[in-house]
Amino acid sequence: MYTFIEGDSINFMPINLEHINLYLKWTNIAKVRRYARVLYPVTAEELKKFLEGQQQNGQIRKFIDFIIYHKKIQKPIGDCGLFDIDWVDRKAMVAYTIGEPDYWGKGICTEAVKLITRYGFEELNLFKLFAHIYAPNVGSYRCVEKNGYTLEATLKKDTYVEGKYLDTYIYSLFREDWIKQEVKK
Amino acid sequence: MTIPRLFPFITGEIIDLFPLNPEHVSLYSKWENNPKVRKYARTAIPITIEESKKYIERSDNKARRIVMFEIWHKEDKKPIGYCEIGDFKWQNRNAYIGFLIGEIEFWGQKIGTELTKLLVDYGFNELNLHKITAEALSANISSQRCLEKNGFKQEGTLREEMYVDGDYMDILLYGILKEEWKAES
Amino acid sequence: MSEEKKNEKAAFPFIEGDRIDLVAQISEYISLICKWNNNPRVRHYARHVWPTTPGDIKPWFEPHSGGAREVIFFAIYHKKDNRPIGTIGFFQINWLNRNAHISASIGESDYWGKGIVGEAAKLLISYGFTELNFHKVYAEVINPNSRSLRAAEKLGFVKEAVLRDGFYVDGEYVDVHKFGLFKRDWEGVNV
Repeated sequence: MYTFIEGDSINFMPINLEHINLYLKWTNIAKVRRYARVLYPVTAEELKKFLEGQQQNGQIRKFIDFIIYHKKIQKPIGDCGLFDIDWVDRKAMVAYTIGEPDYWGKGICTEAVKLITRYGFEELNLFKLFAHIYAPNVGSYRCVEKNGYTLEATLKKDTYVEGKYLDTYIYSLFREDWIKQEVKK
Repeated sequence: MTIPRLFPFITGEIIDLFPLNPEHVSLYSKWENNPKVRKYARTAIPITIEESKKYIERSDNKARRIVMFEIWHKEDKKPIGYCEIGDFKWQNRNAYIGFLIGEIEFWGQKIGTELTKLLVDYGFNELNLHKITAEALSANISSQRCLEKNGFKQEGTLREEMYVDGDYMDILLYGILKEEWKAES
Repeated sequence: MSEEKKNEKAAFPFIEGDRIDLVAQISEYISLICKWNNNPRVRHYARHVWPTTPGDIKPWFEPHSGGAREVIFFAIYHKKDNRPIGTIGFFQINWLNRNAHISASIGESDYWGKGIVGEAAKLLISYGFTELNFHKVYAEVINPNSRSLRAAEKLGFVKEAVLRDGFYVDGEYVDVHKFGLFKRDWEGVNV
């Protein structure tokens, strides 16, 4: 496994198709996929195709996804990436899944968002990052709040999930604000 | 000359910029082959129309690799050349511009200067670039003037870079930053 | 241990040096190259903003189909320690104008600061001038990368351009210094 970005308790690695079964598991477990963005197809074939699509078009990528690798226990536990990258508007959507529920509530998500945020601003030269989070998913929006994202808009009764309509929160962070908070640290 | 069925994408005073017109392909070939024209064209237009077809992908991605236009003379109502903005480096937010005026009677008539301005405005205003670059063979004084009149600064000289008609020639490198362009206009 | 034996067998030096040889890039090196290109310290100035997977670089190891190459790359093989430690090669080769750009990267950080890039570059540049008949060689260096700037100057490269705000690195724009070296000046230096 090749480290691409180093963190404290986690590293980001490139997607490795050898772990396709792990990704399938995360995509399918009800508890995990409940509030996951409905981007991920569920068959191995579709998933493979989607992930292989990352190697498209040379430098013009539409999305980039990383494996979250837990340093201490030495295994992949989820993924985190930037999606719908718009190079002219210079913005992208942050999305993440901690596939192993044992690792929820341990600050992993917060660190993943920290690393992907820095990557988006410092390496990809983006101007704005945002996330779409369903209202009941407190664990998720706390992660982005801890990283300085603020609630920009609420799309009311936006998605039908497990029998109910949920609001979608749109959280966002601008580069200049991120820089200010980094300087303060 | 055929009356254009396409519409101008960018309008100027003496010229307009249109999408490339498949009906004019033989004209484009004529220009590309004309020895007088192609002598300096290698720096101006490194990608030929044929090659550019590879890069014109139908995609939902705003980011392209190259954008080409046909140069249309408004008063004489005819195509007189083509130009490009390309080699986009979206993370570094820069791109390269070049043009080729295929109809020789239109050389030296301020068209180059207007053309450069239209491309630069497009790059900064619409594509959100940070910097635009261009090159000119050392002997190509009129190209250098077009660039300088538009605020480009010379950044260096690639000595004996190109083999042209039996001898090596220098290539001058030019660049303009967005803040310099803003100051100009 | 058997890994090294494998490397030892397969690494036939194409160009021999003192501490290092330049050897063909073989497919056994694919995962090593991935490791290097992803390593945050290595990719910092090499500007790999996208992760590299074996699938990305496998095409480089396909047999060349013939015709002029745009790129010629080698692995830098450390003779004493019996292992590949980086890569070096020519890219953007223009056969008509007879020039090319150099790219070098030491993936194993233990070997940084030991003059290895300089030694590898000397071997490669000689090869470029005397065997490939290049007229000129270019090197582009990101300004804060002082090690590489020094290496270029030591080799006799002359600065020809400063590409302002050429790259976006770690949250800011930096200049790129572009250097050129002619065959006639190289022969002068090395006689």
